[in-house]
Amino acid sequence: MSAPRLQVRGLAWAIDDRYVIRGLDLTLHAGECVAVTGENGAGKSSLISLLTGARTPRAGSVQLDGVPLDDVDPGHLATRLAHVGHRPSLYLDLSARENLALFRALVGGHGRPDDALDAMGILPADRDRPVRGFSRGMQQRTALGRLIVSPADVWLLDEPSTGLDERGRSLLVDLVRSGVAHGVACLLVSHDLTEIARIGARHMQLTRGRLVTQGARDAE
Amino acid sequence: MTHLHLTWLLFRKDLLIEARSREIVGFMLLFSVLCVVIFAFAFLTDADRARLFLPGVLWVTLLFSGTVGLLRLFAREDESGTLGICARSRAGALPLYWSKVAVQIAFSGIVTACVTPLAVVFFDAEVPDVGLSFAALALGILGQSFVGTLCSALLVTVRLREVLLPLVLYPLLSPLFIGGVKMTSIVLSRTIAEDYTAWLGLMVAFDVIFMVASPAVFTRLRYE
Repeated sequence: MSAPRLQVRGLAWAIDDRYVIRGLDLTLHAGECVAVTGENGAGKSSLISLLTGARTPRAGSVQLDGVPLDDVDPGHLATRLAHVGHRPSLYLDLSARENLALFRALVGGHGRPDDALDAMGILPADRDRPVRGFSRGMQQRTALGRLIVSPADVWLLDEPSTGLDERGRSLLVDLVRSGVAHGVACLLVSHDLTEIARIGARHMQLTRGRLVTQGARDAE
Repeated sequence: MTHLHLTWLLFRKDLLIEARSREIVGFMLLFSVLCVVIFAFAFLTDADRARLFLPGVLWVTLLFSGTVGLLRLFAREDESGTLGICARSRAGALPLYWSKVAVQIAFSGIVTACVTPLAVVFFDAEVPDVGLSFAALALGILGQSFVGTLCSALLVTVRLREVLLPLVLYPLLSPLFIGGVKMTSIVLSRTIAEDYTAWLGLMVAFDVIFMVASPAVFTRLRYE
């Protein structure tokens, strides 16, 4: 197997003095998707925040291609990591097309916003109206379009199916499968075991601050 | 080049959103006009004495209206969850900082351009040196934007930021605004012959220091 794209060793994170992540290890290779499940408050979203560099861990290290995250140039990091959370993170007064065009410029992507919106099933008639008028699911689909216009090869997805209907979930599964097939390393936080199975992700559970491999097919 | 391009894109985005939502400039303008009108009614008992108050009224109005803008400067990013996206661009966080400084300068500039003539008319003042008056106001707006953008970013995720922002910002801005008031007084005064260069120097020094220090601190902030 190739060298790990993202490697986490002994990661620790605490809210006040309560450790929600303690001694967490994770290895993520190119062309691989790891799905993380866990109870509410288990620290899944905190893990994603630590991996994006938005939070500083209490202990441990996160390495991107063998380089500690703190040593990676922030500009370079933006072109390598793409994050979509359960909040759409869109400017509500901009249109779907404007949101994706702005994001593409920020991260230096090459994908066309219209291609991304096509892939996420946003109709041409809706693309130029402010996303404030979109349903929650349409906003989330637009947010997922960021993955298509981004040049990133590591995707960090925190419950990305929030608000999506069945069609939207299928589009999400197709998107992740396609990305992984093209060499993207994907970390997916989800509560939906069916979705995880459809993606074919390696399933791990966050329990007591550590990741535990789930299922026979997942054994490393 | 990337820095400039991204700064421009983020600046244009804020202008576009303001044009569509009309959330900030309108309130800043309304607040400023109200300030000038209320002060005018309070002080216009004696036209000669009222002119002495004009610099103070003008700068207090600019300080307060600027604060209205600063309170909303990063609010859209915070509410929509886009702060982290903009702060982690391929050119780092600086394009976000400079775009917000430019937005604050633009909004405060519009308000100042509207309110200053109004105040001059209300207080029946004359402006002997328009260029110098403009320089004083421009230096004030620049300094307020450099410091205010940083303070606004520091407090964006903090509870009670509406209360804390003035508490943090006003002491920092006091040298700049004292310099502004003194310089405007000298410029507007037709009787007192006083050298304004010391106050001008203070304002320029303030702006230069915070033009360098504020972005340096801004890049060390982390946003989700």
